[in-house]
Amino acid sequence: MPGSIKDRVAIVGMGCTRFGERWDVSAADMIVEAVYQAYEDAGIETKDIQAAWLGTATGMTGMVLSEPLRLQYIPVTRVENACATASDAFRNACYAVAAGIYDMVLAVGVDKFKDSGISGLGDGGAPGPSHAMEAESTPPRQFAMLATTYFSKYGLSFEEGKHMIGRVSWKSHQNGMRNKNAHFQKDVSMDTILNAPMVAWPLGLFDCCGVSDGAAAAIITTPEIAQSMRKDPVYVKALQISMAPRDGNFNTNYDFLHVEATVRAAEAAYKEAGIKNPREEISMAEVHDCFSITEAVTMEDLRFSPRGKVRDDIENGFFDLDGGLPVQLDGGLKCFGHPIGASGLRMLYEMYLQLQGRADELLNPGFPSRQLANPKLGLTHNLGGSPDGCAIFVGIVGLPGV
Amino acid sequence: MTLPEKPLPGINADTKFFWEGCKSQTLTFQKCEQCGYVRWPPSFICPECHSKRTELIKSSGKGKVYSFIVYHRAFHPAFERELPYVVAIVELAEGPHLLTNIIECRPSDIKCDMPVEVVFEKRSEEVNLPLFRPSFPK
Repeated sequence: MPGSIKDRVAIVGMGCTRFGERWDVSAADMIVEAVYQAYEDAGIETKDIQAAWLGTATGMTGMVLSEPLRLQYIPVTRVENACATASDAFRNACYAVAAGIYDMVLAVGVDKFKDSGISGLGDGGAPGPSHAMEAESTPPRQFAMLATTYFSKYGLSFEEGKHMIGRVSWKSHQNGMRNKNAHFQKDVSMDTILNAPMVAWPLGLFDCCGVSDGAAAAIITTPEIAQSMRKDPVYVKALQISMAPRDGNFNTNYDFLHVEATVRAAEAAYKEAGIKNPREEISMAEVHDCFSITEAVTMEDLRFSPRGKVRDDIENGFFDLDGGLPVQLDGGLKCFGHPIGASGLRMLYEMYLQLQGRADELLNPGFPSRQLANPKLGLTHNLGGSPDGCAIFVGIVGLPGV
Repeated sequence: MTLPEKPLPGINADTKFFWEGCKSQTLTFQKCEQCGYVRWPPSFICPECHSKRTELIKSSGKGKVYSFIVYHRAFHPAFERELPYVVAIVELAEGPHLLTNIIECRPSDIKCDMPVEVVFEKRSEEVNLPLFRPSFPK
């Protein structure tokens, strides 16, 4: 019988850079910034780290991490798993501690895209069979098809559907404008969102997340050591990856209404964490909102909303900061952009701060609090690839005894 | 200024039969002789039952729009002159889902489930590209 990660490892320190157009720093600078924040938070030094996992979509080998940190010949593994990269680096670091091989490890995610010479992420160049007409297959196309199909199958008019996904982005901007680390910190109105230029109809400019630079880091140890280090460590409850066979684009069975790998990863995570009713039991979530429709469909795939009914929850503010299940409390990919190798740990950082009651350490002066009253369990989700074929991570962290 | 050429599909041993069929204005698909699954894109074994026994069938070229979107930003500069254009998944009567363009129709007139039929656009000596248009007169 396979084991469970629940309460077998804990996070004792985290750090995260400001995300955005970081022309003034290198990826190495951002690694140092995030990791030294995490060191300070945990009260440790470089010499205490026994092994490290580095998530990056662009850098090669663990030396991307060992060089800037001057790690002295300890094991470092470079992890790449598309948008789940940072979360998978964290997952592997947790497993090494749970296995009893190490008791103080580091997981880091970093990417720097703004000076890469391309706008957006290109076509991904995914490995595998060469299909016939790939030249027209961009991420906005792949995800916009979810929207067209969702509107059609559930009987939403264009105006109703467009307002629903616009409301997703509006909510994230309401949260992101309160966050000092966010790339986009402006208050964006529904009018601006709904009237923005189309990119891939029905997705307009504000239905798409940005591209940015950033890094984030976590320090993981055993629960016993964690309790000796601080009063409020955050415990890992579930870590799940699901990899789709990448045939859905052409498979007649694929409905363009859901993401099967998210469903699989979420159900495995709920089982691992002992969660029966995620809508009631999960306090908050950071999910992969590469596009507004992605977040909407993910709410159903995670069982936060009944199938086909997410519009009611979105329009009623269920996922707002003061709603029943706040989502994208830090602003999400919508406000942070998406340095692929860093996003998963950036999401985890918000869950970590919220669980410790420290979210307002990042509050923009003069804005109302982002801190939830009594969060117990936080969920993070990454979708790497396209709806019909992707690498999915679902993780859950929380307080002890939950 | 010369406009860039539109990119052409790569033809390999697996896909050759499909493009040969297109040259004679026919959509050809592989059908599994064991389980009957009609598949796309071409593959050596059946993705459903893993059998290698395969026959080729001719498609009627009729289908319906399963999903579609409208490009307002071209991915490749060769397509810029056609903006806004429609990229769609067409569900053929025989089953396969084909990623393609809908032409001869205003983007705002397209709906999911609307009937379409194949029309071939000659792009080179080797490539007749299968596109789709509404299969009823306006």
